[in-house]
Amino acid sequence: MPQQLIKVRPTKIELIRLRRRLSLAKRIQKIVKDRLSIMTVEFMNLAREAVEAKRKLLTDFSEAYKALSIAAGYHGYIALEKELIASERKLEIVTGSRSVAGARIPSFELRQPERPMPEYDLADTSSWVDRATQLFRECLEASVELAEVQRGLELLGREISRTKRIVNALEYVTIPRLQGTIKYLNMKFEERDREEKSRLKRVKVLLEQR
Amino acid sequence: MSDVLPYERMLQECLVGELRLLNAHLPCQQKLLSDLLGEEYPHVMCNDGSSHLFKKKELGYLASLIQTDEQEALLLPMLIEIDPGQDEMAVICRGKLEQEVISKVLGMPVTVRRNRAAIYKPQLAVLRKTLKTTTQYLFSSNILTQFAKEAHPPK
Repeated sequence: MPQQLIKVRPTKIELIRLRRRLSLAKRIQKIVKDRLSIMTVEFMNLAREAVEAKRKLLTDFSEAYKALSIAAGYHGYIALEKELIASERKLEIVTGSRSVAGARIPSFELRQPERPMPEYDLADTSSWVDRATQLFRECLEASVELAEVQRGLELLGREISRTKRIVNALEYVTIPRLQGTIKYLNMKFEERDREEKSRLKRVKVLLEQR
Repeated sequence: MSDVLPYERMLQECLVGELRLLNAHLPCQQKLLSDLLGEEYPHVMCNDGSSHLFKKKELGYLASLIQTDEQEALLLPMLIEIDPGQDEMAVICRGKLEQEVISKVLGMPVTVRRNRAAIYKPQLAVLRKTLKTTTQYLFSSNILTQFAKEAHPPK
């Protein structure tokens, strides 16, 4: 593909301007590349965390459902449902955001009391229900953690692809175009110099002939 | 030669936006760990008007690393300075406390030179994994001042 050149007047001032623009573009490319590398490190960290969180969530849920089925077997479904319906509790999730090299990603935190008292009747239920409740509480925490990590992954991935496009535009379009134009102007000036020299030589010969 | 000026202009605007983004997320002020521990929703305001939320778990973890009286000297979020084009980053340390915290988190001694503790990318990943909300990236002002000088040279 032929390289496109920037339309400029072939003057020394323009050449200086272009050189300045080239150094600026190179500097910006460095900054954006660094930002990209940081976001990639964060993305990899988040991806690892997402895998761990998913694995933890699956393990927690399977254990919690096992405990629930044991509790249901022990008390019977109707009795257990009756106890648990009365023990509904509001969830408190604190949401906010944090920034990773300019990309805003959400931050969720589940607020739970350190030693929560169960709302169901302790006299009518067994320790199986307590265990199931404890495990489901852990499941809730794991779900919130996974939600945060997955949303972060999505947003960070989008930002990475956007930044990558800018880096590519700089690397493959802007900088080569500037370099090409500078080269073209240099060639033009050299050509002008050569023309000038040959003209002077010609004038010298004509003057000698007189 | 073709007319590529509109494209160039668009790209330059895009780049200006990128540079504005770089340090927009920095906090207006740092808060003491002891103050943050007392807040119900620990947060700081950022330069772009948004708020940066700290996780209570992380604050608790940091508090467990240092003595109670030292909590009144640790400023958060800790800033990780990035100098473009260089392999190492630096955590800005005002005193020995930050150095102690970083070395405890990384599990290795860290040297501080000119109020900056140098760390490399693998250590950065560990630090950010442990202290997600209590650390923040800062793009070195050197590069931005150089950029400003080049963009607007003295006449």
